[in-house]
Amino acid sequence: MKFLRNFVTFTGKELLELHRSGRLLLLTILFTAFGVMNPAMAKLTPWLLRTMSDSLEASGITITEVNVTAMDSWVQFFKNMPMAMLLVLVMFGGIFTSEYSKGTLIPLLAKGLRRNAVSAAKTFAMLLVWSVGYLLSYGVTFFYSDYYWDNSAVKNYAFAAFGLWLFGVLLVCSITFFSSFADSAAQVLLGTGGVYFVLYLLGAVGKVREYLPSYLTRSGELLTGQAKPSDYAAAVCVTAVASIVLLIASIPLTAKRRL
Amino acid sequence: MANVLEISGLSKRFGSKQALADVTLSVPENCVFGFVGRNGAGKTTTMKSIIGLLKPDGGDITVCGEKVTYGGTRTNRFIGCLPDVPEFYGCMTAREYMTLCGQIAGMKAPDIKARTDELLELVGLSDEKHRVRGYSRGMKQRLGIAQALINRPKLLICDEPTSALDPVGRREILDILKDAGKQTSVFFSTHILTDVERICDRVAFLEGGRVALSGEIDEIRKMRSDTAVEVLPENPSDAALLKEKFPSGEVRDGCFILKNASPTDAEALMGFLLEHHIPVVRFERREPDLEDMFMEVIGK
Repeated sequence: MKFLRNFVTFTGKELLELHRSGRLLLLTILFTAFGVMNPAMAKLTPWLLRTMSDSLEASGITITEVNVTAMDSWVQFFKNMPMAMLLVLVMFGGIFTSEYSKGTLIPLLAKGLRRNAVSAAKTFAMLLVWSVGYLLSYGVTFFYSDYYWDNSAVKNYAFAAFGLWLFGVLLVCSITFFSSFADSAAQVLLGTGGVYFVLYLLGAVGKVREYLPSYLTRSGELLTGQAKPSDYAAAVCVTAVASIVLLIASIPLTAKRRL
Repeated sequence: MANVLEISGLSKRFGSKQALADVTLSVPENCVFGFVGRNGAGKTTTMKSIIGLLKPDGGDITVCGEKVTYGGTRTNRFIGCLPDVPEFYGCMTAREYMTLCGQIAGMKAPDIKARTDELLELVGLSDEKHRVRGYSRGMKQRLGIAQALINRPKLLICDEPTSALDPVGRREILDILKDAGKQTSVFFSTHILTDVERICDRVAFLEGGRVALSGEIDEIRKMRSDTAVEVLPENPSDAALLKEKFPSGEVRDGCFILKNASPTDAEALMGFLLEHHIPVVRFERREPDLEDMFMEVIGK
């Protein structure tokens, strides 16, 4: 009961801060831009190639006909969203550590605010921003791709988008985890980057990669229909479990943290 | 009446540094308690232990009869806390911040509103519409006191509330603390002894991780009765003359000092000056102040 009350109050504070600092507006613009960019790039490709065709011809490449479909737009989506994910992570890298270093939590903790309510509220705020932003980009891409071309030409795009979103959730949870003992935003981001790097390295090892969260970022085969969503079941489970484990592990670490 | 705060045998070590060795003290109800010590004496460590932000190596702390546990926040419902350099969310106004604090303390909305009005009035921020980001140190300190008092704590803990302020700001904070002391016990740390003399009922000197001396201010003053009389004659050679007449005195920098001077001694000294027509720049009877006590306690 008290946890829930603390959680709601503190989430309100987080969202107010995001709004007042202008970050909410910035993210809305960015995610919309990322959404618009995908169909726009696809739409512009023939024109771009045509303008360049003269110079290309000079180097021996001849362009006959460029056929753009919704596939090009969705491929762009999966190329661009990791960039948006990176922006969100960098923006939230210091969400915990800045409060620890400034000491803004101390008056509130002294009033009985629970530490795990702080972690829960901050994690929730990050997930909310990531999810709503992601949905915004997805929605815009979906709408224009269908308007200009036909989304039915592309397979499994919703599931592929879900996979990439879930991978983002894992990285958000690792921000919470690393923040429970790191001292600065740089350390948190280094840790989160480390997670990505280790997954990337492990991914090079044959069969293991199907179980790794990073497997979810491979959308190409899903979009063409060469792979089915069920092939990704293991990676989805591992990612979900790993996210929860990171959150649970952060609870005792945050509780013990010296402020 | 029971003690609001009791600390016994508190110890804490940071690496090789023994921050607190054996701190024992108690703060009764409705009392302004000065916690005096040099920088690095362990004041902040003690205070953080009281609000459960630090895990002491040994000893007990009880607040209103309940034991403080590290990381737990149960006893904090009795406590209002003002950290040494209070930082608040810059994007909020004072009123919004007070509301946030009230909600976290579990207060009802009308109560939060009433209490916010009352306290912002007390600290002189009721007309402040700007966000906290633009506040001066003194204003943050005042907001800090207001937020600490919102849930009517039995104990207000302030960590060096005046040390970074200009004389005007200091005076304001001291007046506010004195007012607050009528409703709640105030436990505040400082290294400014005049602040203690101005508003405290009781004091404890912390030195080397121990409480070197504690008690009521008046009692402590009485413990040292060596009122000194200082005479600065216009002509330095007259000081030697005084020394001849009063051999127990001493001459320092052209100034004659008679230690442990009773009122009779002072009278005799004054009579001597008059009799011999010695022109005097200054004649002063000096009460022992806390600074003398403090210096003695820390062995300087």
